[in-house]
Amino acid sequence: MTVTGLRTPAPGGSAAPAAPRLRWPGLRMTWLFLASRRVPATLAALALLGLVMRAALYWHWTLGSRGAAAQAVPVLIEAGAAAVIAISTYSPMGEPERATGRWLPWLRLAAAAGLTGVAVGALAAGAASAAPAGLAGGSLDLLRNVAGLAGLGLLAAAVTGGLLAWVGPLGYVMLAEIGLVAGWGSPLLWPGRPSHDLGGALCAGLVFAAGLLVTTVRGARDPVHE
Amino acid sequence: MTATQLPARPRAAALRPPSGGTAWRLLRLELRRSPMPWTFPLLAALFAFDPYRTAMGYPAVWTIRASVLPNKMLPDFVVFVVGIAAWVGSRDGRRHTLDLVEMTPRPRWAGQLAAWAATTIWAIVAFLAATAVLYGVTAAQATWGGPPWWPVIVSCAELAALAALGFTAGALFPGRFTAPLAAVGAFVLSLEGFNNAVGRSSAFAVLSPTTYVPANDAGVFYPYPPDVAIDQLMFLAGLTAVVLGVLGLARSSGAGPGLRRGVAVLTAAGTAAALTAVGLAGTARQALPGTSQPPSATAPLSMQAPWVIPALHDAASDQPRPYTPVCQTVAAVPVCIHPAFRIYLPDVAAALGPVLRVVAGLPGAPVRAGQVASGSLVPRSGQVNVGGLPAGEISGTPPAFSYTADQVPARAFAESRGMFITSLQAALVGAFVPAGVSQPATGAPAVPDRRTAPAVAPRVAVQEALLIDVGVPLATQRKQGLIAVQLPSALQAQADIVAQRFAGLPAAARHAWLARHLAALRAGHVTLAQLP
Amino acid sequence: MNIETAGLIRRFGRTEAVAGVDLAAGPGVFGLLGPNGAGKTTLLRMMATVIPPSSGTLRLLGRDPRASGPRREIRRRLGYLPQQLGYYPSFTTVEFIEYFALLKEMPARQIPGAVAVAVERTDLGGKARARLRTLSGGMLRRVGIAQAIVNEPDLLLLDEPTAGLDPEQRVSFRALLRDLAQRSTVVVSTHLVEDVGAACSEVALMHQGKIVFRGTPAELTARGTDGGAGDAPLERGYTAVLAQARS
Repeated sequence: MTVTGLRTPAPGGSAAPAAPRLRWPGLRMTWLFLASRRVPATLAALALLGLVMRAALYWHWTLGSRGAAAQAVPVLIEAGAAAVIAISTYSPMGEPERATGRWLPWLRLAAAAGLTGVAVGALAAGAASAAPAGLAGGSLDLLRNVAGLAGLGLLAAAVTGGLLAWVGPLGYVMLAEIGLVAGWGSPLLWPGRPSHDLGGALCAGLVFAAGLLVTTVRGARDPVHE
Repeated sequence: MTATQLPARPRAAALRPPSGGTAWRLLRLELRRSPMPWTFPLLAALFAFDPYRTAMGYPAVWTIRASVLPNKMLPDFVVFVVGIAAWVGSRDGRRHTLDLVEMTPRPRWAGQLAAWAATTIWAIVAFLAATAVLYGVTAAQATWGGPPWWPVIVSCAELAALAALGFTAGALFPGRFTAPLAAVGAFVLSLEGFNNAVGRSSAFAVLSPTTYVPANDAGVFYPYPPDVAIDQLMFLAGLTAVVLGVLGLARSSGAGPGLRRGVAVLTAAGTAAALTAVGLAGTARQALPGTSQPPSATAPLSMQAPWVIPALHDAASDQPRPYTPVCQTVAAVPVCIHPAFRIYLPDVAAALGPVLRVVAGLPGAPVRAGQVASGSLVPRSGQVNVGGLPAGEISGTPPAFSYTADQVPARAFAESRGMFITSLQAALVGAFVPAGVSQPATGAPAVPDRRTAPAVAPRVAVQEALLIDVGVPLATQRKQGLIAVQLPSALQAQADIVAQRFAGLPAAARHAWLARHLAALRAGHVTLAQLP
Repeated sequence: MNIETAGLIRRFGRTEAVAGVDLAAGPGVFGLLGPNGAGKTTLLRMMATVIPPSSGTLRLLGRDPRASGPRREIRRRLGYLPQQLGYYPSFTTVEFIEYFALLKEMPARQIPGAVAVAVERTDLGGKARARLRTLSGGMLRRVGIAQAIVNEPDLLLLDEPTAGLDPEQRVSFRALLRDLAQRSTVVVSTHLVEDVGAACSEVALMHQGKIVFRGTPAELTARGTDGGAGDAPLERGYTAVLAQARS
């Protein structure tokens, strides 16, 4: 900074007028955090995926008429939503942001959980608007799938960084869909488990919880020198 | 101390990047630093669990095994090829190097082409490596024929086109969401959007390699018809040129007027190629195997009949491929199969033998059974269809039973040996005693109207009885839908009773009755009450 | 003259970032000083042919960069280091420099030697094979300088080139500039007045898109004798000129 940027007040002059008080600092901080994570664009992407879900169900975009094949395209769209959530964990600030106060972990937690909820809502709305066609397992299956996949994405973000974390949910879903068609029944492949299946819901829930925990504590991996 | 007085730093060893032409060196840089190879472990896992595992469930027939390349391997690759290509395409935007690359004399488009090419090359390397594994294993197991190369070529062209689409999306929209949205969008559109846009039965559907399914025995009885493959190749090449041309014409490409003119020509040529391919696809029609003649309106072809595109059709592909069938004599009847499917001969013989013994000596009983090309059996009224495909036919003088590779459990890998045998038995029984009512092409059961149902019921009863006689109980017939006729429930119940009664007769008595009344039965002149 | 401008203006919307600049520069090191937002980077980007002027004339290396053919010729003989250097983290130092040598259409056979020279001149020999993501900020800056000089440019444009360099490296860098300036025009945009004083034969001071001072560093220093804040003579000259421009 050059000295021309500084001004010394004239002797005997009055002090500069006080800056206006920041109203609602918590909200302001939250908004700035969300803006830094491009959450508005994330919401737009989730809305777009909701529309894609509607189109897929309305026009019967399926790989088959029964069982796993009928669910393949909706599950992939759910994975897309999870990928978008994972990408939103990317922070351009890196270390300076980490070396701050106590609010950052809670902001990360709230953003991840909130976006997961929005994703479920957007996809459910898309599915509902395609009535009479709809998701075979209903909204509960959607919640289970999106939560579990989002958890995978959050875990992937801790390893690869936010921008590449989309590979995690999409890779898992591609493998899971193969398992579905082959009839593998592991609860670890929760997208293929029947509705109201406790094992699948538990696995998805645990993965989601793990992803939230890692995001809260560590956040996404910082890319070096970005 | 001035700069000139500072002690000299030790000279570093001379660093000499390898020499080579500019284009190759740009490409080499991009190949070395491409993120595509990082997806190889995931692609290998997908390959092992999906296309490879599926292919190993198919018979070791080259074209059947090769069908997993566009139908399974490509969809598995689509997500990651498009996503990584979009990632690479958005590199300059994400890394803030736009100013640096836009102010160089070499147009930015040149660097972009190198980056796209590197991504595509790695994707194709992975695809070819997987293909090599699949073809290598098949070579050790196949009993006839050789590897088809058209599916490989077309699949590689589709990978290049998909990579171009993803790359251009990333370059034009270098946002953080472009990669996954492009990946998901490409997967959904390539598999479903295309087919839903043009209709599954539309001729234009042949343009999509991932959704066009050749017959189970494509390339076996007749040479693999290259018409559709050539058209697909033209379409994909045109699409690739158009997409990359759009990138070159963008303001940020750095192309001068001369290069822009060239890119415009490329884009126009690509558009022309793609539109020509679409136009040619519109002329595609199914034909009887070995011909390019369209079917008659009254004899529609099955879905497995090959597609020909007249402008691209080569008459040489209509010449049958010579082969010596492999035969086994059962009940004094030679049962033959194409050597490519010889592994199934024992099962085919085991299936047809009992029925041939039961009908031996009766009017119209086949004196030979043989495999014919898929699509060569024209659906006829009263014929049993399986999944929309004619299941079998008795024709000629002396009568011979013809069946196709559709009965071979190529794609229904949930079908057990037992189911395969019973369905082939039902096909022979259905051809021997046709039910006399047309079945929809979808394979749903035929539903006779009230007027014809009483005439159909006796034939259904005889079919059921013959199957009971060879050891297929009524319950199994129901479960597997072997009798593809749905009578009114009361009439069906009567037919079942009559069938069990008829099957319970001594074999000689049953044989004698059939010998006297078979012609009348087939003509619909026998009632249920008249059956013993 | 390698740089000639007359009435050069660049607007972004309603903002005039460069508000009429007349400049002529031949071989030598030309310093560009000014506070934040003065228009230095915009002027440099126009000279780098990254953005076109809104109006006025600009000739670089005797050519008009508006036409594509001359622009391409200019770019072959141009080196540019932006203020914020983007890079590909997975590339190595040598690969990054080689990449830009290729894009600058250097003859392929000359590239290996030129890359080696650029690496040596920026003292990156020990990090030649290192991935860029492993380098410190100062080393990345030197990588940026290396890619700018790999083609022995006749016109070298450097925006904040010494940011992140330690004092010894800055001294070496100034020596490099003087060496390059024997046959090229080097334009250095910087906030560090000591860089200007040590390396530049001529300096211009920009304020609100205009050049408010043009002369030698000694002449700028002389402007500070009558007043102006600063710890060094050149700083005092700098602040004095700016104060006058603002009054």
